[in-house]
Amino acid sequence: MDIDLTPLLLRLPFLAKALLMTIELSLFSMVVGLVVGIVVGVARTYGGRIADAILGFYVDTMRSVPLLVVLIWTVFAFPLVFGHAIGTLTAGVLGLGVHLGAYVAETIRAGLTSVRKGQMQAARALGMSRFEAIRKIILPQALVRMLPSLGSLLTFAIKDSAVASVIAVPELMRQSQVVAGQTYHFKEIYTAAMIAYFLLCYPVARGVDRIYRRVAHLGSS
Amino acid sequence: MTFHWHVVWDNLDRFAAGAVVTVELTVLTMALSIPGGLLLAFLRLSPFAAVRAAATAFVELFRSTPLILQIYWVYYVLPTFSEIQFPAFETAVIGLVCNISSYNSETFRAGIVSIRAGQWNAGLALGMSRAQVMARIVLPQAAMRVLPALATTWVSLFKDTSLVSVINVEDLSYQSLKIRTETFTILEVLTAMAAIYWLMGYPQAKLVDWIHRRYKAAE
Repeated sequence: MDIDLTPLLLRLPFLAKALLMTIELSLFSMVVGLVVGIVVGVARTYGGRIADAILGFYVDTMRSVPLLVVLIWTVFAFPLVFGHAIGTLTAGVLGLGVHLGAYVAETIRAGLTSVRKGQMQAARALGMSRFEAIRKIILPQALVRMLPSLGSLLTFAIKDSAVASVIAVPELMRQSQVVAGQTYHFKEIYTAAMIAYFLLCYPVARGVDRIYRRVAHLGSS
Repeated sequence: MTFHWHVVWDNLDRFAAGAVVTVELTVLTMALSIPGGLLLAFLRLSPFAAVRAAATAFVELFRSTPLILQIYWVYYVLPTFSEIQFPAFETAVIGLVCNISSYNSETFRAGIVSIRAGQWNAGLALGMSRAQVMARIVLPQAAMRVLPALATTWVSLFKDTSLVSVINVEDLSYQSLKIRTETFTILEVLTAMAAIYWLMGYPQAKLVDWIHRRYKAAE
């Protein structure tokens, strides 16, 4: 078995650009996921039965349909339904974000329900509105408790962004395939990609753990 | 805009064949990943530091890299080490089993560690060997506690099997994308694909919720 790193080194700038795209894609989809997830999670917890049923259907659908299907459906069927095409990057961010949002929503809901009822009652007794109580009392405590789960969802966002290679978003997985296909050095290229993803995900997971250990006390009441 | 839903009905047998492969992949992978995960969990609790380090490295590697890349890696790179080229289906199972075993090992390890030390002490005091305490006292109690986490992994495994279509395993997503290319009926075929996955996955997601409520960890 011989290892030839020349093709990898020659295409390193190309792959570095792809790595940046992977970071961008995962951060954007995490932002979309957080926005969708917080709105849906809060609405399901405090919005009454009808909102809970409708949004629950969205969450359970995303939990049961593969990400691959969501992404392909977004990029190909979306233009046919809504009449105009969207770029692959936009489709990737939308698909990844809406899929991730369901998992964020579940995390948010679990965090919100974990804050004892007395906290809401105390806030209301002090004259806060329900919205104010959620925003100032419940959500800050819940967010700290959810930090480990949200951190692991961020690593999922990074790992899942590789699936966007199927819809040709020029991120690391896709561009590695391109380079591997051109040079036939599958071994070196895919192993390098493996190392790159590991170096991206592992510190995020460990970093979130460390931050959580420092702030965990803020979440207890 | 005219629809050609008959394309879906005409190809129903191929959708069904794909769905069968998806179910086979899920069941086979989980059946192999439960012993695989247990083995990794035991290795990570081993008294030998080198064994622990190797098992930890394996688990962290598979948990920190994308599954789709792992599948490519097993398909294109592994044969260059071993000189053996497995067929696509077997390759897919190897990739999935390495990935799911790593997740399962964390679940099992948490389950084993969650059993109080007093249970170990009591077993040992009754004259059992460590292996006996593990098999008869700790694992049966841990099994109930890990069930919810295992069920969650099961559903994500079911969804993730769709990624093996990239190495041409003829599962539901591969068949659907092929039918789409052959017939040029994009919206209908993609919607049918999503609907079939939904019909299979939705009851599983609901079952997982029930398992979480029923077997919630309680001391």
